[in-house]
Amino acid sequence: MENILDDYAHQNALRDVDTRLKLVLGGGAIAVGILSTAPVAPVLIAVSMAAITVFLARIPGRFYATLLAIPLSFAVLSAGVILFLQGGGEPLIALPVGGFTLTATTGSADMAALVLARTFAGMCSLFFIAFTTPMVEIFAVMRGLRLPAEFVDLAMLIYHFIFMLISEAVATHNAQEIRQGYTGFRNSLRSFPMLAGALFVRAWEKGEELILAMDARCYDGKFPLEERKDGPSPQSTAAVAAYLLAVGIIALLTRGIQIF
Amino acid sequence: MHIMEGFLPPAWCLFWLLVSAPFVIYGMYQLRILMREKREALPLLAVAGAFVFVLSSLKLPSVSGSCSHPTGTGLGAILFGPFITAILGLIVLLYQAIFLAHGGLTTLGANLFSMGIAGPLLAYAIYRGGQKVGLNTYLTVFLAAALADLFTYVVTAAQLALAFPAEVGGFVTSFVAFAAVYAVTQVPLAIIEGAVIALTFKYIIDVRAEILVKLGVLSDGVAARLQRVQA
Repeated sequence: MENILDDYAHQNALRDVDTRLKLVLGGGAIAVGILSTAPVAPVLIAVSMAAITVFLARIPGRFYATLLAIPLSFAVLSAGVILFLQGGGEPLIALPVGGFTLTATTGSADMAALVLARTFAGMCSLFFIAFTTPMVEIFAVMRGLRLPAEFVDLAMLIYHFIFMLISEAVATHNAQEIRQGYTGFRNSLRSFPMLAGALFVRAWEKGEELILAMDARCYDGKFPLEERKDGPSPQSTAAVAAYLLAVGIIALLTRGIQIF
Repeated sequence: MHIMEGFLPPAWCLFWLLVSAPFVIYGMYQLRILMREKREALPLLAVAGAFVFVLSSLKLPSVSGSCSHPTGTGLGAILFGPFITAILGLIVLLYQAIFLAHGGLTTLGANLFSMGIAGPLLAYAIYRGGQKVGLNTYLTVFLAAALADLFTYVVTAAQLALAFPAEVGGFVTSFVAFAAVYAVTQVPLAIIEGAVIALTFKYIIDVRAEILVKLGVLSDGVAARLQRVQA
């Protein structure tokens, strides 16, 4: 729970760069990553996006690495399945397991490497967006994209309530923990629903209070939202365009390069 | 369990986005009607969405010791129906991607289909069906939440298998392999989620049963009977 990246997004060094530009950079890098057919470009994207996030946006490197380890461990697990299932090419290694043999071929190894590289690139680009762009600014962009007003309002209210509920959940959880609520599996199974149920009832009451508050302030179905008028600077726009163009060209040039 | 950013090939990202789109559009339409008729619905939907988000970021007591978390969308489907839950699921998944770097943006369509559409549809069907045949309310909620969680995981395994079929045996072999890799954490998790949601439901009935009556989840008579059993 303490890993809410929004806190970092509000303090990072790229906070004042135009939101749309940051979304284009992150989204563009993700797109080039998954469209690549060889692992070279995705690895390059992963490394450069990580460098931008850690050095330019000044996100603590150690924290970044531990956070990245979680999705990557799942990716490695799933790439393992691909390694032994997809065929094509020469057999590389054969592992006898029980009654049958698991075989990895050059084709499947290339596929597994590619999927791993793409996931790595995608996660690093997603981390870039998560660490540098506060949610509040994304709402303004959503409005700008003409998404339905109900949807944007609902998203904003959910955002508002998340923080309220998190502090509520943490307080309740601490209180339960002090009273040995999570010692052993049976106790945990009793305490957790109590936490969830109390949280729901508490959330509901907050919602009812908000109805009153909104009625008192003449809510008419749309929250006013301040949007920044100043666009991106020409230098940063040029830098983002150059970066995306460069990785795109590299992806095209290296599309035939396979490891195995 | 969400599919990570970059894991699916682009064609499949697009495919799942298109499959999810009609549900989202219909959900949006329902949301608009609901908000026109009942103005108080918006904040209540918002707390439900935030609740699903917070619940799905809390760690569950897990047997295998792994970090597992409930999906929470089963409860959403029981309370608000499957289509509005799809909208809540979309917002929650977007926040999980941007706040917790969990899931992804290109895989949003696939994840939404498994967690926000397939699971809730099943949960809703089980809950309504169970109520109709007069099954014990808590047992129905348990079944709805546990099977919805399990179904979410099966759909995810199927999505992975469709994108990466095995050379020998094709989709089926690949599906079994992906399902087996995650079964260790997902099967106990589904059972725990069912128990947790059923007990949460019980807690809500004990404290504020009228919320459930107002939403049309329980009839007056059933709510009164369940509360009497508590007392």
